[in-house]
Amino acid sequence: MKYSLILVALLGFTACTAAEPAPTAKQVTPAPSNVTVVCPTGSCEKAPEVQKVEVVKPIVPEVQKVEVIAPIELAEKPKKDEDVLDNENDLIIGVVGQGVAPMNTSSPAQAYALAKRAAVADAYRLIAEKVKGVRIDGQDLIKNMMVKRSTVRTSVKAMVRNANIVETTFKEGLCEVEMEIVLSHSDFAQ
Amino acid sequence: MRSRDGNRTFSLRLCSVILFNSLALNASEFLISYSYIVKDATLHNETLHISKAMKKCTGTPQKSFMFDTNGEKDLKNIISKNNEDFINYIHGLGLHINHNDKTKNLQYSSYTKMTLKTTCFKVDFNDNFARIAPLK
Repeated sequence: MKYSLILVALLGFTACTAAEPAPTAKQVTPAPSNVTVVCPTGSCEKAPEVQKVEVVKPIVPEVQKVEVIAPIELAEKPKKDEDVLDNENDLIIGVVGQGVAPMNTSSPAQAYALAKRAAVADAYRLIAEKVKGVRIDGQDLIKNMMVKRSTVRTSVKAMVRNANIVETTFKEGLCEVEMEIVLSHSDFAQ
Repeated sequence: MRSRDGNRTFSLRLCSVILFNSLALNASEFLISYSYIVKDATLHNETLHISKAMKKCTGTPQKSFMFDTNGEKDLKNIISKNNEDFINYIHGLGLHINHNDKTKNLQYSSYTKMTLKTTCFKVDFNDNFARIAPLK
C-alpha cells in the first residue's frame, strides 16, 4: 500500500514536470574584445556591405507572333526582258573568238589564215560554254599556312553545228571572229 | 504472146538501166575526217583525211555542197582547190569540241581540239561541178 502511494506520487510529480515548458536557451552576447584589424591598403574604414543576392526570375520567352506570308520563291522568275528559249522565240547567241598567228609564218596571208582558224575554234568553244556549260575543277595545295600551288582546270565537250561567222577582223597579229548561232526550241525537242 | 512492138519495152528498160548505172557509177562515196588543234590561241595541227569508201555506206544525203571542178575527177584535188569553202562547209555540218584549259599559279594555258568524226560523203561528179553530201 505504501509502495503504491509512493508510485502514484512519483507519477504525479513526473507529469507536472513534463507539462512545464522547456527552458529557452538565452542568447549570450559576446563580450567586447579588443581586436585591431590591420588594413594593408588603408581603405578599410567602412565595413564591406553584404551584397544582396537577388533571385532573378527566369525569363519566359514570349511567343512571337509569326505572320503567315506567301511562300518565298527561291528561284527568281526570269524577267520579261531576258531572252528565254521557248516555242515562239528563237535565241541568238553571239560570241567573239580570238586567235593569233604562229611566229614562223611564211607570209601575212598564211598568218591570217592560221590566226582565223584559231579564232574560229575559240568562238566555237565560247558558244559551247554558253550553251552547254563548263566543268570546273580546282585544287589548292597549302603547306605551312602558305599556298604552294593553285590550279584551276576547266573543260568543255560539245558538238556545235550551224554557227555562222558574222565578222572577221585582223589587226596587229590578232584575229577576232564574231560568230553567232540561232537556237530554236525544235533543236532541243525530244 | 509477143507484142507487135517487138522488144521496144525491153529496149527501153535496158536503156534506163544503162542510164541509171552510168549515173550511179559517177556517184562515189568517200570517208572524210577533219581535225585541228589550237593551243594557247595558236593553231598547231590541222589534218584532213580523205579516202574512198571500201564498203557501201548507208543513209540518206544531208546538206550538200557544190564544187566547181572544171573536169577534175579527183576529189582530193578538187578539195585542195576549194579548201576554204570546204572547211567552212565542214564547220557548218558540226564539229566536236574538246576544250581543256588550266590556270596554274596564275599562268594560263589552253588546248582545244575540233574534230569532224569520220563521215561517209556521197560525191556526184559531173562535167563542171561536183556535189558532195554527208550520208546520215
